[in-house]
Amino acid sequence: MIIAAVILAFACGTGLVAWELSRVGIHQGYAPIQPIAFPHKVHAGDYKIPCLYCHYAARTSRHAGIPPESVCMNCHSLLEKQTAEIEKLIEAVQQQRPIRWVKVHNLPDFVYFNHSQHVVSGVACQECHGPVQDMDRVRQDRPLTMGWCLDCHREHAHLPTASIRRSLLALKQKPKPAAGLDCASCHY
Amino acid sequence: MNHESGVDNAQRPCKSAKDELVRIGRPSTEFPGGLPGADQSPEGNTRRDFLSLMGFTVAAAGLTGCRAPVQYAVPQVAGSDQMVPGVSNWYATTCGGCPSACSLLVKQRDGRPIKIEGNGESPLFGPGTCATGQATVLSLYDGERLRGPLWKGKPTKWAEIDRQVLDSLTAAGKTGRAVVLLSGTLTSPSTLEIVANWTRRQPNFRHVVYDAVSLSALRAANAESFGRKAIPHYAFDKARVIVGLEADFLGTWLSPVEFARQYAASRRSGEDFRLHAQFESGLSVTGSKADVRVPVAPSDMGAVAVALLRRIARKAGIADVPAGPEPRADPAILDAVAEQLWRHRGESLVVSGVADKSVQVVVNALNAFLGNIGKTVDLAHPSLQRSGDDQAMAELVDQMNRGEVHTLLLYGVNPGYDYADAARFLKGFEKLALSVSFSDRRDETSSHTDAICPDHHFLEAWGDAEPVDSNFSLAQPTIAPLFDTRAAQESLLKWIGNDSDYYVWLRTHWRQQMFPRQKELPDFDTFWDRSLQAGVVALTPKAGSDVPAFHGPYNSAARAIIDARREGQYEILLYESVPMRDGRNANNPWLQELPDPITKVTWGNFAAVSPKLAKQLGVTDGDVISLQTETAQVQLPVVVQPGQESRTIAVALGYGRKLVGKAGRDVGVNAYPLTAIRDGLRRYSAANVVVKTTGRRENLASTQTHFSMEGRPIALETTLQELHNEPEAETESMPTLWGERPQGEHLWGMAIDMNACTGCSACVIACQAENNVPVVGKDQVQRTRIMHWIRLDHYYIGSEDNPRSVHQPMMCQHCGNAPCETVCPVLATTTSSEGLNTQVYNRCVGTRYCANNCPYKVRRFNFYNYTQNSDFDFNMESPLGRMVLNPDVVVRTRGVMEKCSLCVQRIQLAKNGALQGKRELADGDIMTACQQACPTQAIVFGDLKDSGSRVSKLHRDRRFYRVLEDLGTRPNVGYLKTLRYPLEPA
Repeated sequence: MIIAAVILAFACGTGLVAWELSRVGIHQGYAPIQPIAFPHKVHAGDYKIPCLYCHYAARTSRHAGIPPESVCMNCHSLLEKQTAEIEKLIEAVQQQRPIRWVKVHNLPDFVYFNHSQHVVSGVACQECHGPVQDMDRVRQDRPLTMGWCLDCHREHAHLPTASIRRSLLALKQKPKPAAGLDCASCHY
Repeated sequence: MNHESGVDNAQRPCKSAKDELVRIGRPSTEFPGGLPGADQSPEGNTRRDFLSLMGFTVAAAGLTGCRAPVQYAVPQVAGSDQMVPGVSNWYATTCGGCPSACSLLVKQRDGRPIKIEGNGESPLFGPGTCATGQATVLSLYDGERLRGPLWKGKPTKWAEIDRQVLDSLTAAGKTGRAVVLLSGTLTSPSTLEIVANWTRRQPNFRHVVYDAVSLSALRAANAESFGRKAIPHYAFDKARVIVGLEADFLGTWLSPVEFARQYAASRRSGEDFRLHAQFESGLSVTGSKADVRVPVAPSDMGAVAVALLRRIARKAGIADVPAGPEPRADPAILDAVAEQLWRHRGESLVVSGVADKSVQVVVNALNAFLGNIGKTVDLAHPSLQRSGDDQAMAELVDQMNRGEVHTLLLYGVNPGYDYADAARFLKGFEKLALSVSFSDRRDETSSHTDAICPDHHFLEAWGDAEPVDSNFSLAQPTIAPLFDTRAAQESLLKWIGNDSDYYVWLRTHWRQQMFPRQKELPDFDTFWDRSLQAGVVALTPKAGSDVPAFHGPYNSAARAIIDARREGQYEILLYESVPMRDGRNANNPWLQELPDPITKVTWGNFAAVSPKLAKQLGVTDGDVISLQTETAQVQLPVVVQPGQESRTIAVALGYGRKLVGKAGRDVGVNAYPLTAIRDGLRRYSAANVVVKTTGRRENLASTQTHFSMEGRPIALETTLQELHNEPEAETESMPTLWGERPQGEHLWGMAIDMNACTGCSACVIACQAENNVPVVGKDQVQRTRIMHWIRLDHYYIGSEDNPRSVHQPMMCQHCGNAPCETVCPVLATTTSSEGLNTQVYNRCVGTRYCANNCPYKVRRFNFYNYTQNSDFDFNMESPLGRMVLNPDVVVRTRGVMEKCSLCVQRIQLAKNGALQGKRELADGDIMTACQQACPTQAIVFGDLKDSGSRVSKLHRDRRFYRVLEDLGTRPNVGYLKTLRYPLEPA
């Protein structure tokens, strides 16, 4: 009886350790404190500012980028309401000091991820970043593991046939490309 | 060196691993605790040490906890629509790597240049570059560059230096002593205007132009023959017969990018081209491409020119070429070459790199009698790419030593290293009141000057260039100056009382001089913007440039050659090598590690000795010999060079620098002291060299030690006749046991035309720059661990004394049935759906079985963490050097295999670009780095699934084949056989 309990405890313990170890490197739920408590809930949620207004680089570049302070000042230089956080921003701009944001979504160096490919293909930001418009502090909502990426890539791995592609081009629509399943799509 | 005579290869043994174990055993940045196995004491139990270390490391890793480091994202303060992080911008500029001033497109990423390409808009240079041009992007990030101006060796402010110089110049005006600007060849019209202003403003001022490897003899000869002291603009693409006399025009002579492009264009036509004959003493890149190559000693080269002139004169009905002894060359070949020249008169070209005025006059006579002047030899629009004057330089050194020079300004020159009598030049500094150098570092000359006012690197600077008359290009900065440097032109302006920016001066010059020479655009600002964007501008040539007539005197020149001929027992030839050129880029580790295209030796120069002479002296590769001329003595390791003239020893210039930086210091031996000045011209060859063996040996660091194909079908050649006669070869595919792979939309493939490849090695550096390939250093190269993803294999075919050569670029062949993939235990290498053989770095565990199984030996292993190990302190160790890295390609760490990926990052980027632009990928959208760098367009990449693409057409070409096809690897990379044009007997 006691032996069974011990074995059970041991098994649970091993299982727990194994699960913990398998989660090494996965930072799902990571929600670091930022130098300025920027609330996406207010900007993207209440005011419905489009993601690509600030994160414009995502349209053309591999990095979505965090907007330069001049983008913030597009609105905030005209607004009257000041909070302590906005004060921090104004101070940084006056001192011409860039803000050191803590990067939330970190992929390892050996992974090449290109935002623009996904944005142009019509993948919504929330697919990978979760409901950012409801977040006060940005957190990594998804696991961002290779397996998780592949789930989507496998689903969209079908090539549009040449004739479908031609018709879409004729209608001035972009044919959806196949999501790459080759190792070299992301690892080079 | 191994070739068909079966010379034993035991003379280049592999380095022992023992001294390496000792070296890495001590603590380094990569292995802070040292490594086991290095303990040399007999009691040391290495196996136990190893296990204990392993055990400790694993436990330590577990104990440190599993937290990833915090990463920060720091955006700009003010956003810019010009610079989006992650998107590359391209700017047109002009290269400053050598005076040829090729047009460039520079890829700038996040505010810094990371890659150099040629500017396809240029009608002269086209889209290619040379190895030096590709490597100059790294010179921008050279840690040896001065951070600011120095006065007497101590950092100071610009205002202080200006004050000192202005005071000195005023004093000079009063004393009546000379003020001299000693510069290299200047092709910049705006800078030359500044110099002209100096002549007007500063009393006793003169400008002396000095080139370390000078074409002064050619200029002097043209002054005599045509009344124009200029270098012609040569058109190799208009010539069907080319004869070179010691001129490496495809490698290093005058304008190699342009000439290689012209040469390939004329040979590409296949049917029209007739012959390239090269008479030379060493084996150069140009000689390796020639259809007929005749080894001739330097003292005999003049006789060859006269012999050809005699034959041509006879055909032209001119009888007064003096008689004299024939050179030591097969008279039948001379007859045949002369016959071909005559048959294609007006479409032929004779060029010579010999530094002798009489020889050049005879060559001018040859071109004149053949009717080439105005056709392939253009003196109406001359080349401005070399304007060094040996006589003026010699006079300057004399003047300096007599105390007649007050102030000396040094701009883009380093005579303290590369002058024939550097010691005498430096001694002249004692009598100067002021010396100022614009050098970017403390070098052999600037370390003796009172002031160093470091000039910008050309990638940080404004400028313009006129490499060939009426062909203009602009240069613009691609990064704000990294250090407190100032444009030399600005310093020069300030010191004649003009405080304007050089940019303002440049624009004013273009507004006043260039803008009026075009009719298309009505306002200057539009003209300026368009010119800046395109980089190159063609303007109507200045009036009055007509073709001058040849007016001899060829018979006195021929007489002078005959009279002056002195044979020596041994002779020496000094030449510019492709990697080092004249030595100005010696601190560039990419260039130091670039294998010499002929011998494949890296990190140093050597004495190239013919097999006959080597046997005679009893030396072989690596034996050190001493060479003594009347001016100096040097000691160099021997390289046995097939095809080398039997009593000439060839030594490369540009090595042996003492003050240039840690990469270039003491690499090789300085051969410049072996040059001498005679009759006002600098001589790069000497007869009566005393050669002695020393009994010492040196380990050469070469990347290829076996130069014979041993009868295997690796680098094939053919002739037009064979092509016509040969039936369409039906290559049957080897049967395969593998099933069909899932196929994607594309099948990427490549075709390499070995006929066009000259071995210039621009592709090697381009690949290194694009893919963050590390530099490993001389020691690792000696252990066969060089990391270049593409290499140029050089094979000799035929006899040892005068073999034919083939250059074969070899990179991963992306085999359909890849032998490397089947043996990887972790499947780190797979074939993608588009035919690429991909290497997944994060999966690789470093078994190295794949490299073992590869028949082409194109895989490279990271034996060390070359990027973070202080033993490999090249560009990747410092934050400054790391600025050159391409952010689109990962930097590999220790234990990972890497190889050519056919620039998969460029493929992906192009696909993304097509997606963004809502269009299909077109042929030519994707160019691999090697393809884009190649000046002859020998490499073609594309989609084999698109039957209309260039690469598909080449795969169907009659000359097409794949290397080692019989192994059944089914490579997607194929080659086109070299075409030889056999010499028809006269």
